[in-house]
Amino acid sequence: MSIVRNIAAISKGMSITFKEMFQPTEVENYPDGPGPTRGAVLQDRFRGAHVLQRDENGLEKCVACFLCAAACPSNCIYIEAAENTAENRISSSERYAKVYNIDYNRCIFCGYCVEACPTDAITHGHGFELASLNATNLVMRKEDMLVPAVGMPGELAAHSDSVK
Amino acid sequence: MADVTFTVDGKKLTAPAGTLLIDACKAVGIEIPAFCYYPGLSLQAACRMCVVRIEKMPKLQTACTTTVAEGMVVQTETDEIKQARKATIELLLGNHPLDCPVCDAGGECELQDMTFKYGAAESKYVEIKQHREEQQWSPVVFFDRPRCILCYRCVRVCGEGMDVWALGIQNRGVSAVIAPNGQDHLECEECGMCIDICPVGALTSGTYRYKTRPWEMTHVATICTHCGDGCKTTLGTRRSNDGMEIVRGDNRDKSGINGDFLCIKGRYAFDFANRTERLTKPLVRQADGQFKEASWSEAIDFAAKRLREIRESKGGQAIGVIGSNRTTNEENYLLQKFARTVLGTNNIDHHRTVDYVSFAAALAGKSERTASLRDTANAPAILLLGNDPTEQHPALAWNLRSNVRLNRARIYIANHAEIKLRRQAKQFLEIPKDGYASLVQYLAGNDSVVAANEQTAAFRDAIRKEESLLIIFGSEFRGRDIQALVEFGLSLPNTKFVLLGDYANSRGAADMGLLPDTLPGYVPVASAAHFADEYGAVLPQNAGLDLLQMFDAAQSGNLAALYVVGSNPVTRYGVDPAVLKNTFVIVQDMFLTETAQLADVVFPAANLYEKAGTVTNTYGDIQLVKKAADKAGVRSDFELIVRLADRMGADLKKLVPFGRGVRADMGQTRGAQSGEADRHSVWLAAHGLEPKLSPFDPFATLDEIQRLVPSYSFSRLELLAGSDQHAKSELVQISAAPARRDLVLPSQDTLFTSGTLGRYSDKLKEVLDSHTTPKPVEAAAD
Amino acid sequence: MSTPATTIFSPETAARFDRLVTLYPVRRSALIPMLLYAQDEVGYISDEVVKEVAQRIGITELDVRNVLSYYSMLRTKPAGKYNIQVCTNISCMLRGGYEILEHCKQRLGIGHKEVTPDGQFSLEEVECIGACCWAPAIQVNYDFYDELTPEKMDAVLEEYKTGRGKETR
Repeated sequence: MSIVRNIAAISKGMSITFKEMFQPTEVENYPDGPGPTRGAVLQDRFRGAHVLQRDENGLEKCVACFLCAAACPSNCIYIEAAENTAENRISSSERYAKVYNIDYNRCIFCGYCVEACPTDAITHGHGFELASLNATNLVMRKEDMLVPAVGMPGELAAHSDSVK
Repeated sequence: MADVTFTVDGKKLTAPAGTLLIDACKAVGIEIPAFCYYPGLSLQAACRMCVVRIEKMPKLQTACTTTVAEGMVVQTETDEIKQARKATIELLLGNHPLDCPVCDAGGECELQDMTFKYGAAESKYVEIKQHREEQQWSPVVFFDRPRCILCYRCVRVCGEGMDVWALGIQNRGVSAVIAPNGQDHLECEECGMCIDICPVGALTSGTYRYKTRPWEMTHVATICTHCGDGCKTTLGTRRSNDGMEIVRGDNRDKSGINGDFLCIKGRYAFDFANRTERLTKPLVRQADGQFKEASWSEAIDFAAKRLREIRESKGGQAIGVIGSNRTTNEENYLLQKFARTVLGTNNIDHHRTVDYVSFAAALAGKSERTASLRDTANAPAILLLGNDPTEQHPALAWNLRSNVRLNRARIYIANHAEIKLRRQAKQFLEIPKDGYASLVQYLAGNDSVVAANEQTAAFRDAIRKEESLLIIFGSEFRGRDIQALVEFGLSLPNTKFVLLGDYANSRGAADMGLLPDTLPGYVPVASAAHFADEYGAVLPQNAGLDLLQMFDAAQSGNLAALYVVGSNPVTRYGVDPAVLKNTFVIVQDMFLTETAQLADVVFPAANLYEKAGTVTNTYGDIQLVKKAADKAGVRSDFELIVRLADRMGADLKKLVPFGRGVRADMGQTRGAQSGEADRHSVWLAAHGLEPKLSPFDPFATLDEIQRLVPSYSFSRLELLAGSDQHAKSELVQISAAPARRDLVLPSQDTLFTSGTLGRYSDKLKEVLDSHTTPKPVEAAAD
Repeated sequence: MSTPATTIFSPETAARFDRLVTLYPVRRSALIPMLLYAQDEVGYISDEVVKEVAQRIGITELDVRNVLSYYSMLRTKPAGKYNIQVCTNISCMLRGGYEILEHCKQRLGIGHKEVTPDGQFSLEEVECIGACCWAPAIQVNYDFYDELTPEKMDAVLEEYKTGRGKETR
């Protein structure tokens, strides 16, 4: 009886194997795949490198409230605030972030900063290719993280010091 | 008053009759929230947050206006009360912008705290909030109208507390608004009390605006470097590219000697520390007459070598030392010890703003005769002779005003000018500028010296009737006049005295013997035996040159070297620069002042906010100075003196008694910053000294001060815990003031100036400019 | 707290003010009557009035402005020669006060607290003027006109336009 039971078990197992052989492949062809992600498929909720957002007028959403830095468990966010003037308007509010650095040596991608942000300025992008041979390259500046002002209302974008 | 017993939340409490319920509850730890109530100010009952349920009373009652009564039964936290408070907050938030992420008060906002506690985050109101643009009322005060919750705290503190009355309420109902007296700007003393007291972010500070957030700063409570009142100011610092930068000064914990108060200088005039032209590298004058930056060891070696040569060739009497009014007691003490033991000279002096020596001599042996700044807030009767505290001693002026308001103190003022405090005075006597000495004679009973009339007679009678009197006097009294005044005062039953000097540590400089004729504790140089024993050195016995004599000696070619620490005598005394051309001048300062420009070696020095130690205010209150800021490239005066002494071949163990008594440390207890500890240990290791005990530790010197200066025998524990300690004047070992020249030169500072240092504060300059050139009124506040 | 050397008021008003400040236990109680009399003479509360009143009572100009801005019957801008005050409080409202107000607005071409270009008329919507039993009522300077209808209102306006109205100053 044990022989019959063994054959039954094997055939049941192999039937799944053979069935799967004819299904389409699930392997991602990264990094040789098509598209900007080079084949990597990322879920919407994936927490990658941060992106600093702009509002509908092309102004930075960040008002330098420091709540992300306060929420950060690994203390990797550094901000210097400054006041907007009529001639040099960076954000829609009175204050803007003159310096906004994230140290990716320390960031654990927990998403608390995104959670804390009252203006939805900081979000997780899908950037994941952060590896570097030099640790100093891993400190990202505001300019590295801001979404480009391209396609935003021209005048305001031109005044932003974030566009290089 | 008799005590009454009442019940709060089931607890039986006892408090004196007449106590406000909110205060009685606070005393036992029951917190009743309030926006408009502020201890010491008049009652407003405008915010309705402090409502409580009192049995047998209809409706909820405001705890801030209800006095406790026998048998009263109070509930402070029931569902009904919570609901009422929540509704109040909801109404307050009706037009309050939700810009907390941007608002400077975010994180230390009372409205925010209350909203967290009682809810009301969701509002039933759907009306559009009215926005108004922010207004700038002065260089230091900004007003954001929609954030205002109309608690009237600012109006009351400005009027009642400051006696300025620069803020008012205009319009009514929903359009009621706080308005400044200049219609679109403030004409006031710029003290910033309105900003400090604002429970929300409606009034914000011009220096701190949008720079950072409260929790991002390190808060260090230290002593203000400006006037002689010695207020505690809490400095908020942030790490910057070259150390720790001061971002904000305020009166955060109100635990200091100044209570609620802080003036413009303590609050805003810290910006000199961040100025770009601040010296950060030693400068050495080259053969061509130009300054050249040098390394620390080069500069110190050079200065020490020259000093040593001069000492050996011409003797100590050819060297002069000028100390500072703003360095710590330890630095002052070390400087005089350095001068007297290493340089071998009594030629040491500082810019004297009042005659502390005569004051100490007049009070020698009399115990409990000097008053603390705290005493000025509750003395029942005060006689103010000379000085203008509103301008020169703002904290004293605040205390006097509060004392009159809260305790009905009687203030008698005699002055040659119509000073502002006369408005609080019970009697005000205007006298001629040189009439102070004769006034004292008159008060003592000599009728012939002044043109006596009914007013002067009433003034004298009132003072003589006082059972306990605090006599406060300024630099108008010197030498024998002080003696006469103190004698008169002592003839009254219960008198205390205060002498008003000008700078943060003017008193400390005199106490620590930065004088040609007295050692620390006013011991005459001729009777210096126990100092000589302790120092293990022979001290010069003859009085040295005073400050003016030094410059005279320089002119006649008899002063070969001059060592100036944190002082600018060239401008202050109007010295001709040519006088110093044959003198080797070493200057330690923050900036290239007029004196530093004439120097041969300039050392960049740290200011009082960048070092630790103690200072003594003009009342004799000794307080702890903590290191708040840090600037790469500068060294404390203490360190510089020690290093100079070391390169001159002095025995450091004798100069700074480190390793003895209380264990010194590497700066852990005072917040060493930016590699300071490393710097010390490298230097110590290089010199074969014990790596755990530093010759740069001021507390080692404080040990010695406490051994040798009996009036400084206070509790070290209390000092380190942050309490102010009063110097014991009865222990001053001085019998009679030596006959000496009157070198007192009052600084004549106003609210917006602070000697040479004040010139380097942009904020003070801006405020001063705005007060000298008033801007035209354009539009009325709407 | 002193009588100024030069006054902007007429001798009678100045004398009246000198007496006013002595009438009350607290000097500043004289503030509102003084402002009202000053307004009658000057036409509105000018900066000079604020300054002199503050000086006479011995309070700050800010104190005067605080009170001044509270009361709607005190104005800081000149009114027209004939200041028409239309009551829209409850009795007048029920009897057509708003109708009268709208009518005035149309006829004069001005709104609340505005002045006609020729400076003859100004219009104000006010709270109860104490003439409820004859509502709707208006007040032109200090004269009452009551039980009005738009037609009667026209007649009143016409009277003032042609200069037959009572001259107050």
